[in-house]
Amino acid sequence: MENEDIKHAPDMPDDSQPEDQLALLAQMSQEFATSLDIDETLNNAIKQMMDYLEAEAGSIFLLENNDQELVCRACAGPIKLMGLRLGAEQGIVGRSVQDNRVQMVRNVANDPNFTAQVDEQTGFKTRSILCAPLAVKDVKIGAIELINKNSADGLFAVNDQHMLTALAALAALSIHNAAQAAALVEQERIQRELELAREIQANLLPASRGDDFPVHGLNLPMLEVSGDFYDFFVLDDGRIVFNLADVSGKGMNAALLMAKTSSLFHCLGKTINAPGQLLTLINNEICENTTRGMFVTLIGGIFDPESHSVTLANAGHHPPIIHHNGEFEEIETGEMPPLGIIPNLYFPDHHLQLDKDALYLYTDGVTEAQIDGEMLGEHGLQALITRHQDKPVAKRLNAIINSLQKDELSLHDDVTMMIIEGTDSPLLVQSFPAKSSVLKTIRKVMHEALHDTVCSAEQADAIVLAASEAAANIIQHAYADVPDGIIDLALHLHNNELTVVLRDYAGPIDISTVAPRALQDIRPGGLGTHFMQQLMDNLVYTVPEDGIGNRLTMRISLL
Amino acid sequence: MTPPADSTVNHWIEDEQGFLVIYFSGEIDLHGSPHAREVILDCINQERNTVIDMSGITYIDSSGIASLVEGYQLAKNKQLEFGLINVSKSALSVLKLAHLDKVFPIHNSLNDRLQSS
Repeated sequence: MENEDIKHAPDMPDDSQPEDQLALLAQMSQEFATSLDIDETLNNAIKQMMDYLEAEAGSIFLLENNDQELVCRACAGPIKLMGLRLGAEQGIVGRSVQDNRVQMVRNVANDPNFTAQVDEQTGFKTRSILCAPLAVKDVKIGAIELINKNSADGLFAVNDQHMLTALAALAALSIHNAAQAAALVEQERIQRELELAREIQANLLPASRGDDFPVHGLNLPMLEVSGDFYDFFVLDDGRIVFNLADVSGKGMNAALLMAKTSSLFHCLGKTINAPGQLLTLINNEICENTTRGMFVTLIGGIFDPESHSVTLANAGHHPPIIHHNGEFEEIETGEMPPLGIIPNLYFPDHHLQLDKDALYLYTDGVTEAQIDGEMLGEHGLQALITRHQDKPVAKRLNAIINSLQKDELSLHDDVTMMIIEGTDSPLLVQSFPAKSSVLKTIRKVMHEALHDTVCSAEQADAIVLAASEAAANIIQHAYADVPDGIIDLALHLHNNELTVVLRDYAGPIDISTVAPRALQDIRPGGLGTHFMQQLMDNLVYTVPEDGIGNRLTMRISLL
Repeated sequence: MTPPADSTVNHWIEDEQGFLVIYFSGEIDLHGSPHAREVILDCINQERNTVIDMSGITYIDSSGIASLVEGYQLAKNKQLEFGLINVSKSALSVLKLAHLDKVFPIHNSLNDRLQSS
């Protein structure tokens, strides 16, 4: 068992008991295996080892700081070395680590690698050293060192070396496992924080305002957090402020800049109703203190649902497209740079009229999606829009984004899209308490809403009668036993077809209670549904998407 | 017989040429029809021939029509006369929807009705 690293290997009888050694190793294995606190376990181990091998002092050094330094993490004996830092190749301990071999030094004075610095500082006198490397496979971890054998000749024996080697293997494995466990815990912590960040970020996006709202957006983050965002909110005068943006880069830094830009827009956009001016302010703010090289491309604007006019300004984002009578047109929005690059810029406003058109805003994650191995591109997106053009705006947006997620390889970037549509803005959306006294008001607001349409006075009377009958049915039948019922009423006009939607929140209706009766049977009651069927082109009862209550949709072509 | 405070319908009754003439005004919908029904049935229960002047009715729905049907049926049972006069165009269109324009005796005025019988 002679080894070239063992200098002056002692030739003396071994007086230690193998049974004791096994017992000690078994005990230490147990301690390492069950340890929750690796530092404490290492300190116990070095103390037991020092006592057992009758050394004067002992210490464990671990590589830290990218393996540049050896740091004392456990020690026993008269001198406290805890926290002592050595160069990774310094001293006998350094040599043991670098060569991955046991070092047994009988007289340190003769060893060129011995560092006397510690002895000089502490007054301790080092004579002999036994040092074993800590490593798992090829991964160097550190070394365990015993100093000055308390025997007559002060020399460590071959058996001491074997014993320390065995202990070092145990300790190395234990330290390695502890480090991996800590890394795993850290990884989980980061994952939790990312999930939290994602949740916070998702909350920065606006909630859908329902199918009748003219602005709809969707964001699909590629990673946990997104660099894309969109927002919309309603001003007191009914106009809708919106934006859609893409922050350079991905991951947490992009997400933080997203949060900042989105918050600035949301806050300032409530008082500054000129998009260009708003972008000028936000640009200056971002330029003032944002990490160099990061920027945001953003389109911000205001949509007036009354006049269907849009005012928007563009900071370096891909121009939006407008879908008009089956044709696509890219909106000219100038060539201004993204936010966060050049301060004190003037962003011009651009005006457009939507009328019955839809405006599409999107990030490049949409057009760069891979469909069947090919990039979607502008034309692919236009084809997708055309394919789904007859769907109501919210469903259309979902359908387009779903088409992009064809397989796992489809998306390479965050995907964000917004549709603003003038066509389907409702003529009327109002909720009423379900009381018979409110029917008069329902008829009044409906007449007002129908006044500006092409329908004749007679047809308006008929539509109002049908809606009033439907509301009366809800009050009488659906909410028969409910005192505080609500009726939602909406009127939509699309391509000359008027849709009247009445929704309640009552239990499921028994259709037979509202079924029309045979007219030959002259008696009161049961006439309302017959009226509705006679007056409107068609009637459909459905259960709303949220599963609550009933929805009646009645359609009629305006004359 | 006074209508409820928030009623959509008002009425008065004249005794003319052997008929009770009920003049309704306002909107006879689910809210106003219970009052209208009560007024109509009350007149007939007085064992009087009754006509309803519809000229002041700006809106009538299926529940209002139902009140007229009840009056018509009660009068028929009692072998009393019942009818409608001064029916506006919009009220007539609702009666037509219910296919009742041929069931109820409808005349332009009480005099027309008296002359036709």
